Amino acid sequence: MNRLFIFAAVLSVGGAAASMVEAHHSFSMFDPSREEVVEGTVNRWAYNSPHTLLFIKDGAGKQWVFEGAAPPALLQRIPAMSGTTFTPGQHVMVVHCPLRDGRDGGGIGLVVADAGTVFNPSDGGCGANQRNAEWSTWIKAGYKSRAEAESKSPAPATP
Amino acid sequence: MKLRIQSPAWVGIAMMAAVSTAAGQAQQAPAPPPFQVIPPPQAFKTSTAHYEYLKRLHKGGTQHTWESVPKWEGVWQAGWNSIALRGGVSPFFVGQIPTGLAAGGEVAKAVLSPAYEAAFIQRREGMKKFNQQPYDRLTTCEPAGMPRWLLEPYAREFVNTPSQSWWMNDLANDTRRIYINQDHKNIDNTHFPQGDSVGFWAGDHLIVHTINVWPNDYFRGYPPTSNQFESVEVFHRETRPNGDDVIIVQTTFYDPIGLTKPLDGVYTFTRATTLEDAGFRMRWWECSANQNTSLTAEGTTQMALPGEKGFNDIRGTDQTRRSPDLPPNLPGQNRDPKDTGEVLSLDSALGK
Repeated sequence: MNRLFIFAAVLSVGGAAASMVEAHHSFSMFDPSREEVVEGTVNRWAYNSPHTLLFIKDGAGKQWVFEGAAPPALLQRIPAMSGTTFTPGQHVMVVHCPLRDGRDGGGIGLVVADAGTVFNPSDGGCGANQRNAEWSTWIKAGYKSRAEAESKSPAPATP
Repeated sequence: MKLRIQSPAWVGIAMMAAVSTAAGQAQQAPAPPPFQVIPPPQAFKTSTAHYEYLKRLHKGGTQHTWESVPKWEGVWQAGWNSIALRGGVSPFFVGQIPTGLAAGGEVAKAVLSPAYEAAFIQRREGMKKFNQQPYDRLTTCEPAGMPRWLLEPYAREFVNTPSQSWWMNDLANDTRRIYINQDHKNIDNTHFPQGDSVGFWAGDHLIVHTINVWPNDYFRGYPPTSNQFESVEVFHRETRPNGDDVIIVQTTFYDPIGLTKPLDGVYTFTRATTLEDAGFRMRWWECSANQNTSLTAEGTTQMALPGEKGFNDIRGTDQTRRSPDLPPNLPGQNRDPKDTGEVLSLDSALGK
């Protein structure tokens, strides 16, 4: 895999957008200590409040669903996301924090599109969006989890 | 009591503390708070006494017309405040508050009543396992209500008319209604998430009195409020020296069950021009999506997935539960006509 990743800043625009990561329910069902990659095609991108939901099918045909922030937050990310950002059939790689009980879902951290653009639809349920530079390196190297990357890779490049 | 005749400026002038915005604070060394808490002109035992004093002070207030009533148009977002979550300060903690929703921090003594302080300590202890509060009452789609309405993220719209103000929170379709120059009413004989709010204008300041609130909280991970919580708020829109368009709210919270004494604070809302430029419009808060999250027997939060019992396909064509009297394959029933994704059948949703 040799992609030119457009790791545009996933920083919030101003201070207000950073305030939209608290959601209205707890994230206790997600395991923030694990950041893992699921690769697949978009089944549906539900762009609604209270939470956006990204449904994807992996290579084995399994359906996954990942929870993200509400539209007002996503509109203020860089790059911004709207209801047309992810479309059915689109290939994506989702960095997520999985459900603690092992079911096929989790909190979104980052979504990497084929063009290399990295999107941050996180709602605070997964801190992968805080490791933008690291994930740039890890995905290029083909790592499927933060644990794998940290056990094998050298110290990430300083942004 | 001899009343001092003052202009509404006393509630606002001192707020113009000249420091950086909250966004800038995150990148710099600790700075003084960007907004000052302005306490009431004297101590009051009740919110009613406080509100009535201000009304007398301003001689019943300004009778605005449709043309003169202050316009707070546009989309807004909750900003810095002195009570919870943002800005690094809170009267409920000693010193620096925990970051975001994290556990930790030292609970301040004697701000809350003994029972509520003990409950808050219990809440903070319960946050240690997951480093956050394991379950939030908003999971069931109930609104934030007062006072949490003041700082919840998500968008706001403020509509002011001469006789009413309607302030809308994107979250949970949580709208506050302020009845201008009117008395409180409660023909329902109960309490509500937003309570009952009346107010009067003092020039371009809106002074609001809220009572009949059901028990809420200041925010997730913060103390609860009781069903005796009441508030007096002073709202004012202004342009800061740095050009920021803000609505500043000086608050005094009264809670004889939850607090040892009235609590003063300041909240802010900033103009969300990024949202406006992106074409954002406040939509229905679709709690059918949120019904996929629920309370577990252990008191934590869990999420249903497609194919599991109780999962709600928020944009599917399956409408046998939505309108069971109609043919299940009736064309034109997709709530998202452009969606070409896979449809989840009712059987799938029920986990069959």
